[in-house]
Amino acid sequence: MILRLSNRACVLSGSARLKSTLSTFFDEMGKAGIILKSASTGIFENLALEDWIHDHVDLQNRSMLLLWRNCPVVVIGRHQNPWQECNLPLMRRLGIPLARRRSGGGTVYHDFGNINMTFFTSKKKYDRHRNLKVVTGALKALRPDLDVAATDRFDILLNGNHKISGTAAKLGRTSAYHHCTLLCSVERSVLSSVLKSNASEVIKSNATPSVPSPVKNLLDVDPTLDSNIIMDAIVSQYNNEFGFDGPVITVDPTHEALMPGIQKMAQDLQTWDWIYGKTPKFSVCTSIVVNDVNIKLDMVIKNGTVEQCAMEIPEDWLPSEMVNEFTSALNGSRYCSNEAALLVAAFMRTHSMTDDVAEKIHRLCAGVVSVM
Amino acid sequence: MAMCAALRCVSANFSAALPLLTRPAHIWTCQNSLRPNVLRTLSTSSRLSGALKFTDKHEWVRVEGTVGTVGISNFAQEALGDVVYCGLPEVGAKLEQMEEFGALESVKAASELYSPLTGEVTEINTNLTDNPGLVNKACYEDGWLIKMTIEKPAELDELMDEAAYEKFIKSLDS
Repeated sequence: MILRLSNRACVLSGSARLKSTLSTFFDEMGKAGIILKSASTGIFENLALEDWIHDHVDLQNRSMLLLWRNCPVVVIGRHQNPWQECNLPLMRRLGIPLARRRSGGGTVYHDFGNINMTFFTSKKKYDRHRNLKVVTGALKALRPDLDVAATDRFDILLNGNHKISGTAAKLGRTSAYHHCTLLCSVERSVLSSVLKSNASEVIKSNATPSVPSPVKNLLDVDPTLDSNIIMDAIVSQYNNEFGFDGPVITVDPTHEALMPGIQKMAQDLQTWDWIYGKTPKFSVCTSIVVNDVNIKLDMVIKNGTVEQCAMEIPEDWLPSEMVNEFTSALNGSRYCSNEAALLVAAFMRTHSMTDDVAEKIHRLCAGVVSVM
Repeated sequence: MAMCAALRCVSANFSAALPLLTRPAHIWTCQNSLRPNVLRTLSTSSRLSGALKFTDKHEWVRVEGTVGTVGISNFAQEALGDVVYCGLPEVGAKLEQMEEFGALESVKAASELYSPLTGEVTEINTNLTDNPGLVNKACYEDGWLIKMTIEKPAELDELMDEAAYEKFIKSLDS
């Protein structure tokens, strides 16, 4: 069962619609406003769903709202630097993946306690303030005393001082999407620890930075507010605000026949080249201290790959040819702790060295990896 | 911390492509100097005359010899708002007409850029790295985005000249 129409008795079966795609299905429905819920909690599938809708659905005379939630993940904006924005080693230890979305904006943490909303419109009808009115309107309809308001940065603040929603957007050829988060019951301790970079002081970059803000969950101020209640309220408010009578349709974003090309879109979003390689050029400048010896490390990383690597090392601490070869080995490699570790292991195997030198190279590597 | 007698700086720079910033400044003379809010209408524009041609996605291309310079129009930069980041392709990237070649991030959104022509990127405007606002301040001059070869000159005939583009944007307001 790929499509379920809640509130309607009939269910669409795949075989009856073999020739149709989701796009033609919407055209046939003839509704000006449609609400979708994703059946997936996978970030890449959901980002691909957004892209697919944006690219294939006729949004000139129709608007759509997509509601989705994900398993724990950190999502960075299109032109951001993940090393600067989040704690990648911690995320690896916790099994929290990283995704890069196609819209602009800053870095966010999602888990099941966060609701994502994507408002699809034509470029003409693109209006973030109006979309956010849907969200604040929905919350106030549920709890009239709730102090929630949108700022001119398109954040939504609770009680004037805690951020509960952030916004990002993408403008395409003829259509646009605006998506935002809503913190209902997110794990805040995880959020704050993963969104604090372990290497931001050593990085110099012109990537778009995030604006850190103190956050709160709606659940913190009202334990009776849960995600499902909130999503229902948003659906009603969306229809109210825009004068639609949109049905709510659940979509499975892995269904290739219904959305041709969507699986490749999801795969493209998972490549190293997109997630890390799209990072704007940046430089790393740090000191590694090994047994009271200060080693200066300078690297330039372009497309996520080490383009230049220089180390300032006292002459008698390590043989200079060895240092030369070590930095050459790093050159051209991905700025990635796994790859660096593999390189160093290979380096150790192919170079004969005393235990003392081996120990130093190990410590050097640990220092380099600590900023990856 | 004891500092030994000589500190040797060892660096390995194997990058084949020198950073573009070290190239000498490119002196670029513009035959039709256009201030962002004044569009001069030209009676004839041969392919090689350096006149502006526009796409319906609000990119412009100016041809000088065999090279086309690409940027976004004043209408586009106004609609975008303040540009905070320019995501441009690499030199050598091969582009098809209408293909997405990058994105501009502004306070409004990340907006895709679409190539007006088929060709290969020969230069990107590295001044935009530190000064992305040039796209707003001087969209037809210092705020250019890329330069590219023109593989299919006939594509230029499909684009709008300035007068046609002016008409086009007026029709959008309705």
